[in-house]
This record gives sequence, structure tokens and C-alpha cells, in this order.
Amino acid sequence: MQILVGYVRAVGAINRWLGLALSWLSLAVVLVCFAVVVQRYFFHTTQLWMQDLYVWLSGAMFTGVAGFALLRDDHVRVDIFYRSWSTRGKAIADLIGVVLFLIPYVLVVGIYAWPFVMRSWRIYEGSANVGGMPGLFVLKSFIIVFVVVVGLQGLAMACRSILVLAGCEDQLPEPLRYRDESAS
Amino acid sequence: APAIAQGNITWRMVTTWPKNFPGLGVGAQNLADRITAASGGRLTVQVFAAGEMVPPLQSLDAVIDGSAEMSHGAAYYWQNKSQGLSFYTGVPYGMTSRELTAWVRFLGGQEIWDEIYDQFGVQGFLSGDTGTQAGGWFKKELTGVADIQGLRFRTPGLGGQTWAKLGAAVTNMAAGEIFAALQSGTLDAAEFVGPYNDLALGFYQIAKNYYFPSFVEPGLATELVVSKAKFQALPEDLQAIVKAVTQAAYDDVASDMYANDPRALQALVSEHGVQVRQFPEEILEAGAKAASEIIADIRSNGDALTKKVAESYVSAFNLLRTRTEGTDMPFLAARQKYFSFS
Amino acid sequence: MSSVLLGEILAATMFLGVIGVLLLGFPVAFSLAGTALLFGTAGMFLGIFDPSNFGSLANRYIGTMSNEVLVAVPLFVFMGVMLERTGIAEALLTTMGKLFGNLRGGLGISVILVGALLAASTGVVGATVVTMGLISLPAMLRAGYDPKLASGVICASGTLGQIIPPSTVLIFMGDMLSGINAQVQMAKGNFAPEPVSVGALFAGAFIPGLVLVTLYIGWMIFKAITNPQSCPATPVPAEEKRHLWREVLVALVPALALIVAVLGSILGGIATPTEAASVGSVGAIALAAAKRRFTFSVLKQAVVATATMTSMIFIILFGAAVFSIVFRLMGGDNLVHAFLSNMPGGAIGATIIVVLIMFVLGFILDTFEIIFIVIPITAPILLTLGVDPIWLGVAVGVTLQTSFLTPPFGFSLFYLRGVAPSRVTTMMIYRGVGPFVALQLMAIGVLFLWPDLATWLPRLLYR
Ligand code: NA
Ligand code: NA
Repeated sequence: MQILVGYVRAVGAINRWLGLALSWLSLAVVLVCFAVVVQRYFFHTTQLWMQDLYVWLSGAMFTGVAGFALLRDDHVRVDIFYRSWSTRGKAIADLIGVVLFLIPYVLVVGIYAWPFVMRSWRIYEGSANVGGMPGLFVLKSFIIVFVVVVGLQGLAMACRSILVLAGCEDQLPEPLRYRDESAS
Repeated sequence: APAIAQGNITWRMVTTWPKNFPGLGVGAQNLADRITAASGGRLTVQVFAAGEMVPPLQSLDAVIDGSAEMSHGAAYYWQNKSQGLSFYTGVPYGMTSRELTAWVRFLGGQEIWDEIYDQFGVQGFLSGDTGTQAGGWFKKELTGVADIQGLRFRTPGLGGQTWAKLGAAVTNMAAGEIFAALQSGTLDAAEFVGPYNDLALGFYQIAKNYYFPSFVEPGLATELVVSKAKFQALPEDLQAIVKAVTQAAYDDVASDMYANDPRALQALVSEHGVQVRQFPEEILEAGAKAASEIIADIRSNGDALTKKVAESYVSAFNLLRTRTEGTDMPFLAARQKYFSFS
Repeated sequence: MSSVLLGEILAATMFLGVIGVLLLGFPVAFSLAGTALLFGTAGMFLGIFDPSNFGSLANRYIGTMSNEVLVAVPLFVFMGVMLERTGIAEALLTTMGKLFGNLRGGLGISVILVGALLAASTGVVGATVVTMGLISLPAMLRAGYDPKLASGVICASGTLGQIIPPSTVLIFMGDMLSGINAQVQMAKGNFAPEPVSVGALFAGAFIPGLVLVTLYIGWMIFKAITNPQSCPATPVPAEEKRHLWREVLVALVPALALIVAVLGSILGGIATPTEAASVGSVGAIALAAAKRRFTFSVLKQAVVATATMTSMIFIILFGAAVFSIVFRLMGGDNLVHAFLSNMPGGAIGATIIVVLIMFVLGFILDTFEIIFIVIPITAPILLTLGVDPIWLGVAVGVTLQTSFLTPPFGFSLFYLRGVAPSRVTTMMIYRGVGPFVALQLMAIGVLFLWPDLATWLPRLLYR
């Protein structure tokens, strides 16, 4: 059980740190896009690499923080029934979901995306636009980042479910436990 | 694996063209239908137009990843995979259609092309040619190089690099996306192919200045890419059918374009009030300088394979231009000057 | 059994099956993808699905990750989150409440007007309901409003952000419809179709949005006349009235400035929605700074909210991509095509069925899931039958506003439930939105009768 607790804590910490860091890309998206607009409307020039940049930053952001969002339970659920279930019931639903849906999904994406991403690295693929950003392979790698952060966090959800079902949820620190919603 | 029932094989062909698109889209469909017919249905090719299976400019990746067996498009769309691929579509101020096929088929071009595509597990064949293209649709008339500064222009490949060197902000987008971009103001100018295709895409509704000829796309070839492993696993007769049908399709597309371009241009001028213009000498000259700098840069700084393509191309070009400029051009000049059917 | 029939049966089962699976409560994005994989595996063993088709997933994902149009989504989310921090909603609600308070139904009308103003200045639905629930609900209850009517007007006004541009939902819809329309038109031989852009869809949604506002206000007036006790007036003290107009103007200025800058530049064809959204975001930062509310912790909350909300939406799109690959390639496309093409009433009959299906799905799913699943499957057929793409996008947008309002699963209901005092029962909220759902359906009827309401403005501006 200690191993499970350690895993849940470690993955939670990784995704929290990574998620908070990558969230700042949203500000970068705002600023770079704004700079492009200013250049375009006030100086009548366009730099194609900047046009690629804010788009790519956004793509890297929403894939990279997907695990953090899962940690925060931000991914929308149809919780008509889920909401009213006991913590045990929720844990069972999450365990089924992770094993049956989440893990197969990230595995399939990972398996099919891996050669695609590797090929991009081999040729140091850049933007298809002339004068665009170099390093398209970095953006493509974020598909793998997505697979990894969501896969790790999914496994952490499964571990938490097992801890709940084994009656050891109290070994987890408060923020990583199921929220008690009976009050609201 | 492709579905195999009673020895019949079904292949998926993704294309960068819209469905039923004149010349190119129709050419891809004909190519597929003829392979199916010539093989008596043993090799059935199913066509997916741009965006139906993958975004148009991801077609090559679809073949490499095995979600399709064939891609019909233009090699220069993939110049970010290997710069050398641009040569198999067209080079600014480079070869005409006839010169390009001579190089690819008989002067060593195909072999190096195979080497490049080998890295990705695919194989390429010429599948059509547009002939010398139009220079593009411009919302404003061009009076000189100064007008190019900051011009947002859709033009891919080495031609795009040439325009970028002249000061344009160059983007690449697939056929189906250009009209909307011109209309929304994301683009100030766009070139696609020539009158036959451009009429269909409706650019005349937004930009009225139509420039001729394109100095960056003198003879532009399309390609058919096949998955190498799957191609070589075919029985020999089916391999021969694919090759022969593709070569016939090349001829068909080229003739279709040649026949219909002048008709479409007449319609554009007489029915839609399009202004046909030629680029000012200043732009033609600056374009030639930019193009030669780009090729020189590739020859000295490209990766090994790209250098190899460039050398082969340049030596073939120097040979072939003696034929074209020594025989065809004097003839054309004489025909223009002295002859007409009464 | 023929493999074609088998595939169609499997595809249809998958569509119904996924709804059951979603009720398990596991995050929607992964439930969609995982269910599709289970059915795809079954299809593989039956020889009707080729798993190499998953090879196109990475392609599609990178296509979404490098899609310039869709960057408007995080930008508008950022702008909305930042704007929320400026206290603009509170200022508007307080001043407008005073302005209309001494009319019967006036507080309700001020909620509708503020809802519309906020809708026109941001792209997200959500926070509006919470703010109104915290400020206007107590005010209305104090004034003696029927709690049902008060809840209904707040929940419904909070959904206006979806249909009054800018709107994140319309961005996705515009992006999808423009691709589908180009393909459909070109297949018909029309290679220069009237382009469908996000900007054009915004323009199309503008007048129908105003129609909805009018319908809501009409309902408030109707209640004020027929049932005055349900929405009594609140006398505003004279000393509060003295500087009222100036207060209203001060509260209105930021909202109006953003509406003109963002919506004006998009509808005026000056900027693309993405460009306008970045300007709006910087504008929202400036407003927050002017109000001395721009601190490091506010900025941090804004970037985290933007990143996670954007991620949540895009990951549903990722999951829905798996679903649509399996559904289409097992033959579900043909099935839907046959079903819709044989509807009595042709294009109109088929559209009514699609709208009806979306309305019903709205009871249990929310807008994004519904459009990501239903639009790619049905829109190609509807557009082939001749339905106008802009009109379709607007009609779907109006329909799916109800997904926020219909129990058991409606976000507006949740948001309000979360902040409403306990004497407003959940049942009151459910019953209160009833008339507004009916108004919503009426608006769809109006769109069917007068399609020009959605198509006239985009034609004027974009052609
Ligand atoms: Na809005
Ligand atoms: Na609902």
C-alpha cells in the first residue's frame, strides 16, 4: 500500500509542477499573438515564425496540462449518478474507467504516434511554412507528453481507487483524496 | 493490413486535392479507377479527398504511418521532410515539364528520388503535370519589387522561398483553404496553378490582377507516393499495372491542363473582367537573382542527399536547356513571327 | 450476415452504448475514446474494422494542435477569466438593477440585459451564472420575486454567451463547418463556395442572439402584466438615483469598449477572431490593472484556469476523434446517410430530426461533446441536402443552449444550485428554467420560419 501511496503522491507532484509551469504558456500565447497583431496592423509586416509560435504554444499547453487537469478533476464528467455515489462507488467507477477506457486509449495513441514523432525527430522537421518556426518535432512530441502525463495520472487514479477499496484512503494526503461533496 | 478477400486487395489513396477538382482531383480519381479497372478489381483503389481522412498536408504522413497506401499530391509540400523533394515538383526558373520528365526518367532523377523516399519507406512516381503555371492573383497591381514588401502570399516550395527573399510573407495552404483566406484578408495574393484550376477556385471574385507566367513554377509535376513495402509485396503484374497506369495518368493530366487552360483564361477575361498582366522586368530580374541564390545555398549547405539532387538537377538542366533553347525556342520565335493558319 | 450490415449494426450499438458508458461518470473524453476502442476491437475480430486507421490519429491531433483558428479558444477563455476579475459583472448588475428596479419585472430585465452585455464581451458561459446567483438572486428574492422565475431568468441569461458572439462553441462549430462545407460544395462541383468562417458564423449568430434577448424580455414583461406578484418592483431611494446615470455609464464603459474592440473588429472584417481575441485579452489585463486588481496571484489563477479549461475542451475533441474514426469506418456514416436522406420533408425534415436529437442529448451531455460527435456525422449530409451552413451552425448553437438548462445534467443549473440559498429548492430551479427552454425552442422555430435572421448579416458583411 505504501508503494501505491508513494506513486499517487509522486505523480500528483509531477503533474502539479508541470501543469503549473505549462499553464503560463497561455500568457505567452496572448502576448505573442498580440505582438503579431501589432506588427500586422501598425508596422505592416508579418513574421511567419511568430505566427507559428503562438499556435504551437497553445497546442503544447493544452496537451501538456491534460494530466494536471485530470489531477484537478477538471475533465468534465456526466456525473448525474456519480455525484450521489459514496466514495467507494466513485472509486469503483474510476477504476473501471481507467482500466477499460483511459489506459487502452493512451496506449493506442502512444503506439501509433511514436513512429510519427520519431520520424519528425530524425529529420529535425520544421514548419511547412517558408520562414516558419524550426522544431516542429518538439510540438509533435507533445502528443507523447500528453500520453505520458494522462497515462501516469490515470494509473494514479487507479491506485487511489485501490487504496479506497482497501480502506486505506486516509494514508493519502488530504488534497489527493476524493472530495467530500455530501456537504453541498 | 489492407482487407484481403478472395485475393482482392483494397488500397486507400489520400490526396491533397478537393474531390472532383478539375485536372488534379479528377486526375487522382482517374488514376485510382484505372488501376482498379486494369487489374480487374484485384487491386481496388479507394480515394479520400483532402481532409476526408487526414488534413490535406498530412497525406504523406498517412502513407508512412500506414493509414493509407497511396498519396496523390505534390512533392514540394513535404520540403520540411527533405529539401531535395522540391526538385521533383519544380524549381524557380528551372525545368519545363518536358525537361523535368527527361531528367526524372532518363537522366538519373528517379534514382535519387527513390533514395530520399527510402528513408520514409515510400516510393514516388510522377503522376501529372500542370505545365508552366500562372504567376498568381494579386489584389493590387505590382509595379515593382517595393510592392512585394510584407505582401501575404500563398505560394509553396522553392517558389515560396524565392518570393520570401523578395520580401513577401509566404504561407502554404491546401487548395480548398485559399479562397477563404483571400476573402478574409489573411492573404493579399495567392497562386495555385493556372486558369483551368484557378477559375474553379473562384479567385477572380476577390483579386482581379492575374499575372503570367510564373517564373517560379515553370513546369510543375504532381506525384503518386506508395508505401514501398506494400508495393513490393504486390504480384509483379499488379506492380506493372500501377506503374503503367501512373505514367498514362501523367500524360492525361498534362494534356487536360494544356487543353483547358486557354479556354478557362478566355472565360476569365471575357466573363469575369480579369486583368491579365505580366510581371514587371524588375521583379523578373530580382526573382532570377533570388532563385539562383537559393539554389546556390542548397548546393553548398544542403544535407548530402539534397546536394546530390541539386547536382544531378543542375547538370541535367544545363544539358536540356541546349535542346530547348537551341531548337524549341528558335522554332517558337519563328512560328510566332511568320506563321498563322489562314 | 453481410459485413456491411454487421458494421452498421456495430456502429449504431456503439452510439447508444457510449451514452450508457458516459453515465458511469468517468471523464467524457476518455469514455468516448475507450468505448470506441472496445467496439473497434470487436470490429477488428469480425473483419470489419482495420486498426491501421488509427495511424491517422497523430496526424489529426497535430492538425488540431497547429490550427490557427482554434487558438481563439484559449484566447477568449483567458479574456473571459481576466474580465471576471475586473468586477465588471458586479458593477453592471448593481447599477442596472437600480436603473430598472422600480419597474415590475425590472430586476429580471436587468439580469437579461447584463447577461447579453457580458455575452457580447466574452466567449465563455459559466461565471456569469455564479455572479448573478450571488448578486441578483438575493436582490430578486428580497424584492419578493417568485424563486422559480428568478432562477430561470438567471440560468437562461447565463447561457447567452454561447450564442451571442464571441463564443468558444461557435469557434469550434465554425472550424468544423468550414471544412465540411468546402468538401460538400466541391463534391457538388462548386469550387468557390461562399466560405464559412468563424467570423461569418459570429455574424450569423448576432441577430438570433438579439431575438433570444427580446424573447426573454418579452417573457418578463408578460409575467409582470399577468402575474405581478411574481416579479414586484423595488423602489430605489431618491439619493441613489441622483448619480445613477453616471454610475451606469461608468459601469458600461469597459464592457462597451471591449465589445466594440473585439466584436466590432471581427464583424467589421478588420481582424480575424484569433487576432481580436488577443487584443481583447490584453484589453482585459489593462482593465484589471486600471481597477488595481491585476496582481501576480490573479494572473496565476487566470493562466491556470485558461490552461485547464482549454485542455478539458480540446481533449474531448481528441477523444471524439477516435469515436468518429471507428464510427465512420465501420459504416456508421452510411447508416446516418440513409436515415437522414430518407426523412420525410427532405432537408427540413432531416434538420428537424438532427436538432431534436441534439436537444434530447442535451439532457445528459453538454454542448462540446454533442457538437464533436454529432456535427461530423450529420453536417455533411445536411449540407449536401442544401441546408445553409451558417444557418445550421446558429440553429445548433441555439438548440444546445438548452443543454445548460435541461435537467438532470445542465451546467447552469449546477452553477446556480452551488450559490443559491437553500430556500430555493432544486425543484424550483428545474421548474423555473422550463419556460426558458420553451422560449429557446420557440427561437428555433423562428429560425426555421425566417432563416434570413441568421444568413442576412453574414452575407452583408462577408460577401
Ligand atoms: Na459570447
Ligand atoms: Na442538460
